[in-house]
Amino acid sequence: MNKPDFEQFLTQSLNDTKHELTPEKDLWPGVERALAKSEAAKPVKNGWNKLAAIAACTVAALLTAQLFIKTPQTNSVAAMSDFFAKQKQSLLVQYEGSPAVTDNWQQQLSELEEAESAIKQALENEPNNSALLSMLAQVYQQQLDLINKVHAPKWQTI
Amino acid sequence: MLIDAKEAFTSNSEDALITKVKSGDQQAYAQLYTLHVKRVYALCLRLLADKEHAEDATQEVFVQLWHKIASFEGQSQFSTWLHSVTSNIAISYLRKHKNWLQKVVSFEQSGMDEQSTADCQGLNGLDKLVLRLPERARMVFVLHAIEGYRHEEIATMLGMAVGSSKSQYHRARQLLKEWYENE
Repeated sequence: MNKPDFEQFLTQSLNDTKHELTPEKDLWPGVERALAKSEAAKPVKNGWNKLAAIAACTVAALLTAQLFIKTPQTNSVAAMSDFFAKQKQSLLVQYEGSPAVTDNWQQQLSELEEAESAIKQALENEPNNSALLSMLAQVYQQQLDLINKVHAPKWQTI
Repeated sequence: MLIDAKEAFTSNSEDALITKVKSGDQQAYAQLYTLHVKRVYALCLRLLADKEHAEDATQEVFVQLWHKIASFEGQSQFSTWLHSVTSNIAISYLRKHKNWLQKVVSFEQSGMDEQSTADCQGLNGLDKLVLRLPERARMVFVLHAIEGYRHEEIATMLGMAVGSSKSQYHRARQLLKEWYENE
């Protein structure tokens, strides 16, 4: 028997698609545990914390932009690193004790830190390479965004 | 879980369940989970093309939904709203779980290999081919052809131009056709 042509196969398969599939393991216990954990560690709502965090990120983005609009100088990396290290530290201190929405955010943060080290190493040979500087700024910004996002999720974006 | 979805649904209408969940009733939430978990998992599996990631993302959907359900005002059907929440969480899950190199150079992940698709239960022949597609082509194909989203909506969800969504869809169809004909 000849197999149907692709268009027939596609139409037929799309009509037959199952919109419900059963996961192989029971996922509810994990959901229940996560809910219990987040209920137990509900933070005291403080609008100022969130505002301060958003303001810090905005300032960081503005400073980064300013660094790149001007001609890159040899001390750009050090200045940028210093600025972002302070921002990151202050966010981490601010969110200390607040529950994070994902368990593996520290792993994600360490992956971004690995990227930061790799780019800094490349910059040692080419300190004025604007593409590398731009990548470094992006990685720093991603770290700040990650810390903010896991501690102060923006539900409205879902 | 011991709660039977159909039984749960006949004794509590979905609206009543949602009202209970909004007031913090976790038992009602377990019933709501039972009613929708298969739909959520199917969408996560097709978008993420990875069983373990689909399971994680499904759990993430239901954890976030618990916090977010208060904002559901009943203007659309709950299943439609949940579907959109699920799509967005699966997309952001994929972004979050890229390693640093993929993040920095926007490297695109390939899909599942043939052996892994064979291990997924309940999938038809097309599904098994779809899961082998590269990431962007797969997401656009799933959202457009299977889930019925318009390219304009997909472009917004995936942060790409409408033209890119259309070209990824075309690319997906070409690859599927090629694989189907060479099977």
